[in-house]
Amino acid sequence: MPVITLYKDRFSKFVGRSLTVEDMARWLPWIGSDIEEVGSDYVKIEFNPNRVDFSSYAGVARAFQGLMGWKTGLPKYVVHKGNIVLKIDESVQKVRPYMLGAVVRNMKLDEDAVREIMEMQEDLHWGVGRDRGKASIGVHNLDNVKPPFTYLAADPDEVKFVPLAKTEEMTLREILEEHEKGVAYKHLVDWSPKYPLLIDVEGKVLSMPPIINGELTRVDAETRNFFLDVTGPDLRAVKQSLNVLVTALADMGGIIESVKVKYQDKTIVSPDLTPQKMKLRRSYANELLGLRLSENKIVECMKKCRLNARKAEDGTIEVEIPAYRIDILHEVDLVEEVAIGYGYYRLRPTKPKTVTTGSFHEATRLANVVRQIMIGLGFTEVMNFILTNNDIQFRRMRRKPEKTVKIANPTSSEYNIARTSLLPSLMKNLMDNKHESFPQKIFEVSDIINVNMNTECRSERHLHVAGVSAHSTANFTEIKSTVEAFLTNLGLSRWKIKPTSNSSFIEGRVACIQLGNKNIGFLGEIYPEVLNNFELENPVCGFEINLEHLVPE
Amino acid sequence: MVELRENEYKTLLTIEKLGGKASVEQIMNESGLPDATIMRAALTLEEKKLVEILEREQTIVCFNDEGKLHAKRGLPERLLIKALIKLGGKSSITKIVEKAKLERQFVPIALGWLRRKNWAAFDTNTNMLQLLEEPEKEGADEKLLKLLNQEGQVIGEDLSPELQSAVKMLKRRKLLEIDEKTKRIIEITEAGWKRIKKGIRVITEVTQLTPELIITGKWRKAELTKFDVTAPGPAVYPAKTHPVQQIIQRTKEIFAEMGFTEIRGPIVETAFWNFDALFQPQDHPAREMHDTFYLKYPKTGKLPKKSIVNKVAKTHENGWKTGSRGWQYSWSPEEAKKLVFRTHTTATTIRYLAEHKEPPVKVFSVDRVYRNEKMDYKSLAEFHQIEGIIMDKNVTLRDLIGTLKEFYLRLGLKKVRFWPSYFPYTEPSAQSTVYIPEFKKWFELCGMGIFRPEVLAPLGIKYPVLAWGGGLERLIMLKLGLDDIRFLYKNDLGWIRRIPTCQ
Repeated sequence: MPVITLYKDRFSKFVGRSLTVEDMARWLPWIGSDIEEVGSDYVKIEFNPNRVDFSSYAGVARAFQGLMGWKTGLPKYVVHKGNIVLKIDESVQKVRPYMLGAVVRNMKLDEDAVREIMEMQEDLHWGVGRDRGKASIGVHNLDNVKPPFTYLAADPDEVKFVPLAKTEEMTLREILEEHEKGVAYKHLVDWSPKYPLLIDVEGKVLSMPPIINGELTRVDAETRNFFLDVTGPDLRAVKQSLNVLVTALADMGGIIESVKVKYQDKTIVSPDLTPQKMKLRRSYANELLGLRLSENKIVECMKKCRLNARKAEDGTIEVEIPAYRIDILHEVDLVEEVAIGYGYYRLRPTKPKTVTTGSFHEATRLANVVRQIMIGLGFTEVMNFILTNNDIQFRRMRRKPEKTVKIANPTSSEYNIARTSLLPSLMKNLMDNKHESFPQKIFEVSDIINVNMNTECRSERHLHVAGVSAHSTANFTEIKSTVEAFLTNLGLSRWKIKPTSNSSFIEGRVACIQLGNKNIGFLGEIYPEVLNNFELENPVCGFEINLEHLVPE
Repeated sequence: MVELRENEYKTLLTIEKLGGKASVEQIMNESGLPDATIMRAALTLEEKKLVEILEREQTIVCFNDEGKLHAKRGLPERLLIKALIKLGGKSSITKIVEKAKLERQFVPIALGWLRRKNWAAFDTNTNMLQLLEEPEKEGADEKLLKLLNQEGQVIGEDLSPELQSAVKMLKRRKLLEIDEKTKRIIEITEAGWKRIKKGIRVITEVTQLTPELIITGKWRKAELTKFDVTAPGPAVYPAKTHPVQQIIQRTKEIFAEMGFTEIRGPIVETAFWNFDALFQPQDHPAREMHDTFYLKYPKTGKLPKKSIVNKVAKTHENGWKTGSRGWQYSWSPEEAKKLVFRTHTTATTIRYLAEHKEPPVKVFSVDRVYRNEKMDYKSLAEFHQIEGIIMDKNVTLRDLIGTLKEFYLRLGLKKVRFWPSYFPYTEPSAQSTVYIPEFKKWFELCGMGIFRPEVLAPLGIKYPVLAWGGGLERLIMLKLGLDDIRFLYKNDLGWIRRIPTCQ
């Protein structure tokens, strides 16, 4: 999750009051951020992906002022009418159809502010733009180019420009192949015969969205007038990104000026910072929160969250939501705003009046009985992952590979399938514990996953139990006695132990366990080659039983 | 006359037989007595001043895998110098290495030692290696390796000074494994010899009471040995449940005590129940390959009945009748069919709620969940999640805070804080931290919230659903004071055998 480091002095300037680090650490959580770190002159916070407006000092400061009651209600943003035209050429339709723009004039920045704008841009790329897939931003020095601007799709080999942080001209294709940003984001455009490009009236390149800006319009502490462009296939995300950025720049002292964005069929005046309107029922808020707030109190809570609110004639509360709040989808989101404005710290705990009785799942109950018996038999419990690999599960066990659930995107070759048997995991445990004293008797009662194409999820989890005993005189008789004691103690009586063959065990020292006409498990003495495969030096005997079949008679 | 018990007498006689001085191992081999018995006897004999127990530190030297390799075919510098001699005493490094068939990783080491042993010098002008003097046939280090190759291991103290310095050298080269051991030697004292000559009376004491003694009544005449009850005995370990299981069980008990019923659902789950039914948009970062394990086989599962799927789809696209604006994109059933390893137990919860719409519902799970994470000291790809759910008429956010407070209290966590947070399927949402006095620190544990209408309405759930959840392993690490989460599932028997049982 994104973080922002708020230095005390700079943050105080935005808030308009002199704060201490302690004040900040104490109150910042209540706007909905996690304190990551508190330094001598800064507080580092982590903010949630729904609040990308917290990616700037200005954004956090707005919320902080509200919560403290220093400045409440909707922050006002004036959009001055501007003359700059941004023409959207039809050619971008198929590759990256939308672009909106805005002008912000009269900025006075320092190095910190420039860095902050860059970081905000990255947070927006991540939070709203889904790593530039849905929207991406370009920030330009307006004074280095001449409007009107045109957004078009250009031939990859015909246009050349100097990309940001480079000195040589490169073609669009070269940028995709060689520039680090080109390599990282080429998948967003390289399927198209032509690539998106933003140029000025003289054909000078502002940017190659969503890959890289031109060096020509690079922004630094000297930049006074900004041109912002946001492109993407998703107009909503494009608009949201622009609004969050523009309002933050305005809070940093800029004057917003509109741009005429001319599409084939329509002209949009951008940015559009009109507050969104929504209704909130008082009863709904009170019911969810467990409070009895009056309408006036709710209005006050909303204003502390920098929303405007007033009682409407139909008895509801009409709420105005600033353009940078992109997280309000539903009335319920306003309920949370009420709670934040009221203060989570003031919510006194209550106990629900719901009366119910509690119980364990049948699998837990059975597993606990199994644990009790196995411990009585002198076995110690181990817990292994369901995730494993073919080498442990099959090859070392001399088992023929079965159909298993397989992961498409494993992080390691150690964990790429789901186990169908517990026994191999236990053999691995013995291998890892060779230095410990013997006898070693361990068991596991847990799940395996079988493929079953007839089920909704094409697989089933089954509760199994398996045990192994390793010491210098471990043998078939020992494990048979153990299994018989286990089954008897489970309340079973009509099982049969019958000869079988199983490549993990010694021929003639392996048996299957039958209940009625069902095979419920096996037991035996492990084949020496399997012991070698697990680097074991003592004989091992073991068993495994599928507990799904063991409903007491 | 000295009185000795049978084992003490036997031990003393064995030492005498072995020349009056012997190690515990030697006595063991000769007498067949177990070493604990010999040591116990020796301690009594020492008390009686008949023997003296000498402790000698012993250095056991053997080679590691790399040392073994060099012992078999010669040290890398030896291989190079042989090659250099064959090439006429002057040649380029590439040629020498090729001739010596030396693996690349040993080349810098070999060159360093050629210089140090003053066998050859590198001429920077010609880029050639020049033989300096005919090197000794076999250095001390090579003698030691040869000896180790024959013996497997040697005792450092028994070596000549030359070989002892070779041990130091090869240890620095990281070719040896060195183990310090205490060796006990028992020697008969002068007083002991005198006493033996005077004669010893062996008293027949009974150490182990037998059925025969009990039945026949012979025990009345026998003298039962008085043991040194403070002497250390061999360790035994109880069979027990796994430490993680102990805490899982305690957590489940707390839920049951608080009136919650346990539910269990598929581990391999469709994206529909894991994400879509929880109003997580299909382009949500949590759904990406680097966060979630998708299945290569089987690839896709079945979607539930159309009426449910359609409502969920519309809610994503435009909010359907939930009053929401939705996520404003075109929902894909193909994406929802994909099978994943469930990323949270909430997938099971929402399945359960879709089938149990009548209030009240109070359910919980403590079960396995998966994230596509590289395993390191603080994250696992497979772990346990705790989850508690209350669905009823008129339950509130304050009720949720109250319930969680009670839950923590029963886990022994008294100080708790709650503050606003965000989860895609709850609103309002909150995060909680608990104060752990042992660490004097606050730790984030469970997240919580009320399920969004966009989650409930498409499934026909009419009442508020309170939910909280979090990872269990984090709590366990705090309780057990561990700092590497992987250790929990290493199944180190030494750890499991010795760790106190959870209470």
